[in-house]
Amino acid sequence: MLPPDIWQSWAEFSEIAKGLGETLSMAFLGTLLGAAIALPLSFLGARNINRLNILRLGVRRGYDFIRAFETLILALIFIRAFGLGPLPGILAIAVSEIGTFAKLFSEAIENTSEKPIEGFRASGGSRLQQIRFGLLPQVNPVILSVLLYNFESNVRSGTILGIVGAGGIGFLLSDRISAYKWDEAWSIIFLIIIMVYVIDYLSGILRKRIIGTWEAAK
Amino acid sequence: MTAALILNAVSRHFGNTKAVDSVSLSIQPGQFVGVIGRSGAGKSTMLRLINRLIDPTAGSISFGATDITALKGKALRDWRRDCAMIFQQFNLVDRLDVLTNVLIGRLAEHGFASSMAMRFSDAERTMAIQALDRLDMAPKALQRAGTLSGGQQQRVAIARALVQKLRIMLADEPIASLDPGNATRVMEALRSINSEDGLTVLVNLHTLDTARAYCDRIVAMRFGRVMFDGTAAQLTDDVVRDIYGSDGLAEFNEAVTSTSIKAGAHPAPIPA
Repeated sequence: MLPPDIWQSWAEFSEIAKGLGETLSMAFLGTLLGAAIALPLSFLGARNINRLNILRLGVRRGYDFIRAFETLILALIFIRAFGLGPLPGILAIAVSEIGTFAKLFSEAIENTSEKPIEGFRASGGSRLQQIRFGLLPQVNPVILSVLLYNFESNVRSGTILGIVGAGGIGFLLSDRISAYKWDEAWSIIFLIIIMVYVIDYLSGILRKRIIGTWEAAK
Repeated sequence: MTAALILNAVSRHFGNTKAVDSVSLSIQPGQFVGVIGRSGAGKSTMLRLINRLIDPTAGSISFGATDITALKGKALRDWRRDCAMIFQQFNLVDRLDVLTNVLIGRLAEHGFASSMAMRFSDAERTMAIQALDRLDMAPKALQRAGTLSGGQQQRVAIARALVQKLRIMLADEPIASLDPGNATRVMEALRSINSEDGLTVLVNLHTLDTARAYCDRIVAMRFGRVMFDGTAAQLTDDVVRDIYGSDGLAEFNEAVTSTSIKAGAHPAPIPA
């Protein structure tokens, strides 16, 4: 296993770089797609927005149903449907994130204070305006944190998706392990650690820039 | 500009509780009315009924020729804009800056697209700055509302009421969580809205000396009913004891609860 392998030619390394990039883009697209679908669903599942109990509980059981399928299981299903490659990986991440995001977002929405919203209602704001101005500024920081963390988490779980054949660096990693090329495997793991570290660092900066400044009117 | 506000046998029940029990009031344009009473006497509920944050169980409210209780949709939102309301807890959005919090008062005029994009016209922003300036809050315009002190937040809330182009001002215990200096500033702002703009002001108060100092007319509520309706001079100690039902309190001293700086600098010691 030691010392780790250092790739001598670009031709060798480019394959690894492409794998890393693929995992990164799978996680990015999957997280974004999942969040885009989860956001409207999360409003339907929040007690303070959707007052129709039957619909709200129905939507919430829907989230639970989606979360019951682990990302890996979804990947195996999508590989059957779409063949090997990054597409089933993206879909697996997106679908499993719909359940997670919708639950976390709707709880963030429920945890907001009613007071600013009442402030608007009393000055003649419509329901949508109350949500836009009174509620969204309260939940935006939570949504951003959840998105950034889950993106990072999906980069890590994206590796496992590669092992079952859904594209990305995991495929190369499992390939090296099965060929007993431990020095190369270790180098790949090392690169994944660096990638996660960089994402964490960048998301910290992004959070500070976005949450640190306030939402001002244009 | 403003018109008479008339409450005709208005009631609001929550389950078996009669929060407001057939209240009839006629408030003339330009009056400064203080509403006093114990906690839970129905003061807040009455203001909320006027603003239509809650609907009455029975009775009707009218403003000039308009039947407030019958309003729906856009007309209801226009009414809420016309009768601006400020709250004990200020009800600002902490994470938005002061200017945006004031501009929110203009939202009733905005369509879907412009309000979702938080886009306001220059004229509206000028109006908001002028309103803030009137309350000496213009220098804080770009600060987050959550970073301001209570008194400053309440003045921002009043600025928001001003840009709503209000016709009547409702204030629900506006000074209950403020220190004496800020309480005075907020009450002075309400007085200027009343005297300079000639608007009706209806304010819930817990401090009797404030009510006496600022209000033309004092309305006292108990158990959802109007117990007393008159001038400050007519509000004698006996009446006060009736309103607050000070059972067990041998003496009822206004100075003890006072938040005023001028009056009662040395409150009498509470009898042991």
